[in-house]
Amino acid sequence: MELFKLFIKSAFIENMIFTFFLGMCSYLAVSKTVKTAVGLGAAVIFVLVVTVPVNYLLETLVLKEGALSWMGEEYATIDLSFLSFILFIAVIASIVQLVEMSVEKFSPSLYGALGIFLPLIAVNCAILGAALFMQQKQFNNVGEATIYSLGSGLGWCIAIVLLAAIREKIKYSHISAPLRGVGIAFVLTSLMGLAFLGFLGFEL
Amino acid sequence: MKALESFMQKIKPKSDGKFPLAYTVWDGTYTFLFVPGHTNHNGVHIKDGIDLKRTMSMVVLALIPALLFGMYNVGHQHFLAIGEITSADNVCSMFWDKFFYGAKLVLPIVIVSYAVGLGVEFIFATINKHAIHEGFLVTGMLIPLIVPVGVPLWMVAIATIFAVVIGKEVFGGTGMNVVNVALVARAFLFFAYPTKMSGDQVWISLGEGKAIDGFSGATPLSNVIEGGVEAIPSLMDSIIGFIPGSIGETSVIAIGLGALILIATGVGSLRIMLSMIAGGFLTGLMFNAVGGNPYFELPAVYHLVLGGFMFGAVFMATDPVTASQTNTGKIIYGLLIGVMAILIRVANPAYPEGVMLAILLGNVVAPLIDTIVVNSNINRRLKRIKTA
Repeated sequence: MELFKLFIKSAFIENMIFTFFLGMCSYLAVSKTVKTAVGLGAAVIFVLVVTVPVNYLLETLVLKEGALSWMGEEYATIDLSFLSFILFIAVIASIVQLVEMSVEKFSPSLYGALGIFLPLIAVNCAILGAALFMQQKQFNNVGEATIYSLGSGLGWCIAIVLLAAIREKIKYSHISAPLRGVGIAFVLTSLMGLAFLGFLGFEL
Repeated sequence: MKALESFMQKIKPKSDGKFPLAYTVWDGTYTFLFVPGHTNHNGVHIKDGIDLKRTMSMVVLALIPALLFGMYNVGHQHFLAIGEITSADNVCSMFWDKFFYGAKLVLPIVIVSYAVGLGVEFIFATINKHAIHEGFLVTGMLIPLIVPVGVPLWMVAIATIFAVVIGKEVFGGTGMNVVNVALVARAFLFFAYPTKMSGDQVWISLGEGKAIDGFSGATPLSNVIEGGVEAIPSLMDSIIGFIPGSIGETSVIAIGLGALILIATGVGSLRIMLSMIAGGFLTGLMFNAVGGNPYFELPAVYHLVLGGFMFGAVFMATDPVTASQTNTGKIIYGLLIGVMAILIRVANPAYPEGVMLAILLGNVVAPLIDTIVVNSNINRRLKRIKTA
């Protein structure tokens, strides 16, 4: 039950897009069609689900103050958390490399559609954001970290797919010229955020 | 009628004259009053002679019972609050007093909403060089009906401007908006000026009078959280509408009359209304079975008659522009709104008015529902071809 609450909380109440505005660049850029949005959403979910638990283990076994005590008494006082940014990013970058290679191999059309934004997942703020939130929230075990990453990934995926569906719908609207494209996507995101405010303050 | 038409023809300004705004205003008014006479010369795809302005007039007509009852109820609640009548009195006592008192407060809100909204719309139509399509007819009527009577007029004006510009005009005007314009106005008010949109001060106008002892001005839904299930009014009162609340949302009967008009004329979708009510009722039943805070224990049928649920189901969710377009999609969309409305109301004590946010959420999800329904249709047919 606790895990389920954590999942709902990370997916809807603390939605990466509508609450924290993380990962906006690819959210705005790749949301032109539902198909590519689903592809990128799935990629983000996958990267999150792999990186956050790995980073969690890294955090608890290596980086945290006293985490190195398993190596011996003399290491118990070492605090390596100043290295967390660089190590988290390194983990994320290598996993993204893996995803990129497998997408290129198994779905070349999706690879073409995602373009530069697939390798750019490495610097997608939502991914590093989730790793840093994980550090902040001090989860008890790997299971919680995994559920959290699944939830936030799903929340991000839902947001981008919703935006893509709306943008497909308004493709033929008479939007005034200066607002066409990214401009209207910003306005849309704000209106969607208004609708998602309903989740804020849910008592689970 | 003839005199009016010749008068309108006489004052017709030039479309490329000195004041383009004058022409837009004239054109909007003229096509509102008379069905335009011009016809297409090549292929047309119209099944019905009614144009958009006539369709929307139907909705305004359907809103009239709720508006009239709203005026009466504002007066009723006022005299109840200052102790001139008690709830045991005949509902007809001081009927006209109540009605005029309410009208005095409600009509300015209606006028401000129409004047500001139409103004914005005329300006945008002039800039974008198109005719007024629908001219804010329905939205202008909806906004007054979903705000509490105590809302200051300048807030109505600001919310209307925000909703029309950000909710509608940036997307290209009538028929292009993604979320319901009237609900954007209400959500804007709700989050920008929370003290004026909730609590126990805004729902009943006290005027010059002084509240009697033991008087509570909060809506039944917010009373529930403190007083428990005993605090709700009788089912009969909630259905007729003698409860505090937003101006037009209290009476299920007046809304039902509107629903009949919408369904009979085919403007509102029965699918959406029924599936939303079903979704809300089932969720209510489910929470009854679980139990928990007082909202969990509120009988499911009360969930439907209190607050803005019925108003939302009949007038808001069925908005043909922002709802799902496919038939299967409409059912899913209605169910989703019904479930979410009760879920927000129950699990989120900060927002007893979950209906507004649930419908906004439904509007946001509607295009995705349509995409999925259409694609699954395509896939099913493809499969049929392959097996044949």
